[in-house]
This record gives sequence, structure tokens and C-alpha cells, in this order.
Amino acid sequence: MHHAVIHLHGTTVRLVSSEDATTTAATGEASTESQDLSKPGPIVPELKELYWGGGSFVVFALLMRVVLYPKLKKGMKARYEGIRTAHESADAERASARAEVADYEQQLAGIKSEAARKVDVARAAVEAERADAIAKLNARLGEQRAAAKAEVEAARAAAQSQIRDAVSDVAGRAGELATGKRPSADVLNRVVNEVMAK
Amino acid sequence: MLAAFEFPKINAILRWKDLFSSFNKISLIAVAAALIGTIVFLLAGRKNANEAPKGVRNLAEATVEFVEDGIVMQTMGEKGLGWTPFLLSLFVFIYLCNVPGIIPILQMPATARMAIPMFLSLIVWVVYNGVGFKHQGLGYIGHTIWPPGVPAALKPLVGVIEFISNIIVRPFSLTVRLFANMLAGHILLVTFALLTEALVKAETKVYMLKPMAILPFFMLVFLTAFEVLVAFLQAYIFTILTAVYISGAMEGHGDHDHDDAHAAASH
Repeated sequence: MHHAVIHLHGTTVRLVSSEDATTTAATGEASTESQDLSKPGPIVPELKELYWGGGSFVVFALLMRVVLYPKLKKGMKARYEGIRTAHESADAERASARAEVADYEQQLAGIKSEAARKVDVARAAVEAERADAIAKLNARLGEQRAAAKAEVEAARAAAQSQIRDAVSDVAGRAGELATGKRPSADVLNRVVNEVMAK
Repeated sequence: MLAAFEFPKINAILRWKDLFSSFNKISLIAVAAALIGTIVFLLAGRKNANEAPKGVRNLAEATVEFVEDGIVMQTMGEKGLGWTPFLLSLFVFIYLCNVPGIIPILQMPATARMAIPMFLSLIVWVVYNGVGFKHQGLGYIGHTIWPPGVPAALKPLVGVIEFISNIIVRPFSLTVRLFANMLAGHILLVTFALLTEALVKAETKVYMLKPMAILPFFMLVFLTAFEVLVAFLQAYIFTILTAVYISGAMEGHGDHDHDDAHAAASH
């Protein structure tokens, strides 16, 4: 005979070997208990379970409705509100910062444009001044050149006059020595002029 | 050879001696479920709400958001948010009544007995019918038993079917779905636990018998893990069906027709 005996809530589970058809295991049935656990049936609701279970649920549901849920939800809403406000504040800060950056970039672009304009104006002024200075310089050089030319011309004229006078004098003396008669001044001048013109 | 495995009578695995007069293990689990739910939400409410939620507050807020987003908004929309406390209570209470089925020593889901599922189903039945009468007046009866578009000739037949379906079968199905699923899970766990123990303790010369206890033991472990899912799933199903029934009672068929007409006009 082989069998296992397991007690469960006053009843017995038996594992019986086929080698022995007779089981002699003791079965401590519920009849030994003072409370009859075999009744009511498994699908019949027990009154005590009904009112303890129902009562517990009703109390729990009322507490949830009146105290527990509103308090928890209030905290959740406050936190969500705080988070939303913080998000909105962050968005506003971000928008403000972006506006400031845009403003700065706009100002920077304006300043760059103004600087470029001023550089252009300065460059034009410098160019004009340079042109003016060159023109003045050229004019002064022209004047100086003209003056120098006039001076050279005057010097040349003076030198030619002196040479002419000297040549006339030399030629008159030579003629006088040769002919014993001094040639006239007109003849001397004409001859000297012809020679010097060659 | 193994010839027979005598299973205990069904009441032996469902009923216990009263802890004291008119108070048994199921009552204890139900009271504990309500107490634990209350304590968790009470503690959660006392934490500083402005800090990032953690611990018990995180758990409570996650549950609230699950019920709001996963049940109320999916079935009732924003107008149903006022029902969140009731649905939250249902979900938490049922879940906490289911879970003891896999907690050592307790090892009994309170919902595997008829009383609590039946009471909750009756509450739901009263609530959704009350909501129906509040929102639709006596027209609720007509809207309930005659769906839109039913030919006049079929109204008597359809009326009887819909009346039985909506008024009688709904609470019955709610009760039986929860009760039967939890009871079946409990019986499966007991069966494999007893089989494992019986094989381990078998007084036999068949030396291969004892090592074979590993098979029902693995099944027991697997089913225990499965019951974790079932405990949650049954609470979710009961709650979402309640939300669907309440939502249906709030709107009625007339509102659906009205919405459909609006939708058709907008298209």
C-alpha cells in the first residue's frame, strides 16, 4: 500500500497507489469541526461576506469620493499648474531671449550698415581730397614749371642779347680792324641775327 | 502506478472557519482591501504635492491616471471624469480583493466567493440605471430596450431581448465573470499545489514519482504569475464595463442618433 495524506482545512487529499486498492488513511472530515463548512454551496453568497464586503466597499468609495480623491487630485492639479506655469514662464523667457537676440542682431546689422556707409563716405572724402590735392599739386607744378620756363626763356633771351651784343661788338671791331671803318649798327645786327638764327 | 488523486470538496478550498462570529477570512480580506486602499491614498494625499511624486504618492497618482486616461477618457470622455472616484474605488477595491489569491497565508481572492462580486454588480446596476433615469427620464427605458432603427414589427421581440440583456444579464455577467475567473484561478492554484505536495509526500516504491513533482510545481509557479495578471485584468474589465454602462446610460440611443446626424451633416 502506498499513499500520501495531506490535510487541508479539515479534509484530506489522498494519493493512492494501484498496488493496493484499499485505503486506510484516516480522513479527518469536517464533521469533527464545530462549524459546518460544507454549507452554503460555493456559489451562494454568504450574508456576512455580503455586508462586510459591501460595507467595506461603500465606506471606501465614500472616503474616496469625499476625501481621498479630491485631496490627491488637488495636489496633482497644483503640481501640473506649477509645471504649466513654469513651462509658460520658460517659453516667455525663451521668446524674450529670442527677441533680444533678434534685436541685438538687428542693431548689429544697423551698426554694420552705418559703419559701411561711414567707411564709404570717408573713402569718398579721402578720394576727393586726394584728387583735390593732386589737382592743386599739378596746378602748382604747372605754375612752377611755367615760371621756370619763363625764367629760362628770360635767361636765354638775356644770354642771347648779351651774346648778340658781344658778337656785334666783336664783329664791329673785326670789321673796323679790317676795313678801318666800323660797320653800321644795323648791318652788324642783321648779320649777327642771321648767323645766330642758323 | 498512480491510480487516483482525491481532490478535496470544493467548499474545503473556499471556506474557512469564522475568525469570530459573523466575520470570516473573506470579510477580513475585504476590510483589509478597503483599509489598504484608504491608507495608500491617505498617505499619498499627505505627501508634498509640489515635489515629483515617488513611493506611495507615485503609486496612487499612477492609479488615478490609469483610471482617468485608460478607462474614463476611453469610454466616457471628459464628461465622465466626475465618475473617476467611483470607478477608482471599484478598480482599487476589486484589485486588492483579487491579489490575496497569490499572497502566501491569505491565498484566497475575496472575489472568488459570490458575495462581493454580486454586491458590486448590484451597486453598478443601481448606479447606471439611476444615471439613465436622471439623464433621460422615463425615456431611458425605451432607449434601453429599443435600439435605433428597429422596425416596429420587431420591437416586441427586440424589446424583450434587450430588456433581458441590459437589465438582467448585465449584472449577472459582471458578477459571474469576476467570480468565475477568480474561482477558476484559485482552484487551478490549489490543484497544482496539492498535486505537487501529494507527489512529494507520496509513500511509494515508484522512485520516479517524487521527481515528477517538478512538473506540477512549474505549472504552479506559472499559474501564480498568470494570476498576477488576472487579478489586474479582472479589476480592469469590471471597471471599464461599469464605465461603458454608465456612459451608455448617460447618452442613450437618442444622443448617438443626434451625434450621428451631426457627423453626417458635417461630412
